[in-house]
Amino acid sequence: MQFIRSNTFRWAAGLATLFAAFVTILFGLIYFKIDDYLIARSDRMVTTQVDFLASLPPDRLMEALDDRLGQDSRGVHFAGIFDTRGNRLAGNVARLPADLAANTGVKSVRMARLDGRDADAPWVRAVARSLDQGRVLVIGRNVDETREISRVVGGALALGLLPAFCFWLLAGAWLSIRAQNRVEEVNRRVQRIVAGDLRERLPHREIDEPFSRLAAIVNGMLDELETTINALAGVGNDIAHDLRTPLTRARLALERGRTNATSLEQLQEAADKAIAGIDQSLSIVTALLRLAEIENSRRSSAFGNVELGEMLREVCDIYEPIAEDKQVSLGVGATATLYVRGDRDLLLEALANLVDNAIKFTPHHGKVELALLRGEGEIILRVTDTGPGISEQDREVVLRRFYRSDKNRNTPGVGLGLNLVSAIAKLHGFRLIIHAGPGGRVEIVCPDAPVSRG
Amino acid sequence: MVAIKPGHAGGGNVGSRDNRMTKVLLIEDDGETAEEITAELADRGFEVAWSSDGLDGLAQARDLRPDAMIVDRLLPGMDGLTVIESLRKEQVRTPVLVLSALGAVDDRVRGLRMGGDDYLTKPFAVVELVARIEALLRRPPETRETKLRVGQLELDLIERTAKRGERKIDLLPREFRLLEYMMRRSDQLLTRAMLLEEVWNYKFVPATNLVDVHMGRVRHKVDGPDDAPMIHNVRGAGFILRAVS
Repeated sequence: MQFIRSNTFRWAAGLATLFAAFVTILFGLIYFKIDDYLIARSDRMVTTQVDFLASLPPDRLMEALDDRLGQDSRGVHFAGIFDTRGNRLAGNVARLPADLAANTGVKSVRMARLDGRDADAPWVRAVARSLDQGRVLVIGRNVDETREISRVVGGALALGLLPAFCFWLLAGAWLSIRAQNRVEEVNRRVQRIVAGDLRERLPHREIDEPFSRLAAIVNGMLDELETTINALAGVGNDIAHDLRTPLTRARLALERGRTNATSLEQLQEAADKAIAGIDQSLSIVTALLRLAEIENSRRSSAFGNVELGEMLREVCDIYEPIAEDKQVSLGVGATATLYVRGDRDLLLEALANLVDNAIKFTPHHGKVELALLRGEGEIILRVTDTGPGISEQDREVVLRRFYRSDKNRNTPGVGLGLNLVSAIAKLHGFRLIIHAGPGGRVEIVCPDAPVSRG
Repeated sequence: MVAIKPGHAGGGNVGSRDNRMTKVLLIEDDGETAEEITAELADRGFEVAWSSDGLDGLAQARDLRPDAMIVDRLLPGMDGLTVIESLRKEQVRTPVLVLSALGAVDDRVRGLRMGGDDYLTKPFAVVELVARIEALLRRPPETRETKLRVGQLELDLIERTAKRGERKIDLLPREFRLLEYMMRRSDQLLTRAMLLEEVWNYKFVPATNLVDVHMGRVRHKVDGPDDAPMIHNVRGAGFILRAVS
């Protein structure tokens, strides 16, 4: 009977009770209206009759009275004539009711018939009128009819309302049990997901119903999660591989040094190699942590207005000697004084990474150019180079962690540079666009929101 | 390049420079790390006191009045940054080097650096630690001097010119900044990370070895073909600017 405690059932029961109360009030109102109407009608009839009979001459009166009582098959009519001492002269009324004064309005009194007993004398709407010689004429009408009507009304009410109420309760119970079963089903599946079965999905039907919609939303979320987790697992393998390589080198160097070194210099050489290997692993860990830090941060508190043109020149200034060493020309193309909202340190890091990459992959006598352009409603930071660029099929994978194109495996670097740029762009709400080769062209596109100059 | 053994990178036993042992308080809860640091600093002539707990460390800092402190960020008892903040409230100005496995450069760490203290992320090279401690201990005095001199090398901060003896040296703005920083801290080992932070204002380590390339240029200009070298490369550690003896 758990369903009784469920919300659905309580709502159904509550509504049913409310509905029943409403219908009862409605029927009560109808009953009282009808009752009022019937009493008013009886009163009118009684008044008409008493007026009529009182206007007749005495001899015609008796006759009319008997006539009237004779025609009354249902026994609803009461009539009687009494003398001054209250003795009955004619009619079917046993005695004159004490509380019925002559020549007043119609009122309800208990009135016994000649042939009836006093105990079950019915309530009667009656009126009394004085005649000549101190006689009193009493006319009445039994209103027990209204009770009958009330019985009919009550019966109808019970007949209609009880089954309706039961139906409501049943419907409530059914809805509640159904909802509970679905929740149970969802719970079972979620337990399976929690236990690690990421391919499990929530049940949903094709109809547009809140429960199904919710299930569809959750399923969408699960799809996304499954993809991410699978990707993470892949990243885990990549990390393991990239960490292992330098560590293996370090281990080998140490092992060989320990076995073969015969002089301090040789030992130091082995130690240097080992340290280099360990440093390489550490730099991978550092880069990963930094990436995680940026991806998880909402550093908008450190956001300020950043002048991009000046930042471009600074990066150029920093990398100029490096480009020169590689015999690559580095220059700033179009610039303007444009501001964006952001974290200057991070944006500088992103741009430096792009320039670093561009110089690294551009052959001797090549060219790397930075440009700051104003597009339609956006500001574009562009780094172009005359290197091999990124091929169409590499554009997606290049943003995967640790991805390094196979032909670049021997170029030094950790392989997280573009990830970092992408994470920084995402944090700012900017877009990182990698254009297809030939020639490298990477852009950071910032929405050109009006920025207060300050 | 002059071969200088990394073990004596700072130029001998800097710890006992004023006939008095320089006292360093180390607050670090990992015993093994603490032992390594203590041994290394003792080799260089520092007197090292060690505490493994934040509260005890704070008490020792008050009693011993050390010349410099090395504080781990995560400590039992009281965390490292709180220890430092408590000391600063008591007007204790001892320079501090904070060690941390957290690379996060948050606002509290920014505050540290602005206050003249330093921050080093674990794991670190011992050379780096020693270089930074020495830099903290030998903070250059604030001078109104408009000319810096190291041996024959002279830098005019107003005219933005440099010369070695009578030979004029043409420097790009960033090269000028680099040389200025080095001259203010002559005879000190300056690591690549320190130079990146101070001269380039970088909060990250770039993939390419920026510092070496820029330093190569400056060295080429300062140390002419006929001159005795002034800028020395310490293998695996950094650079030193030193007057020709």
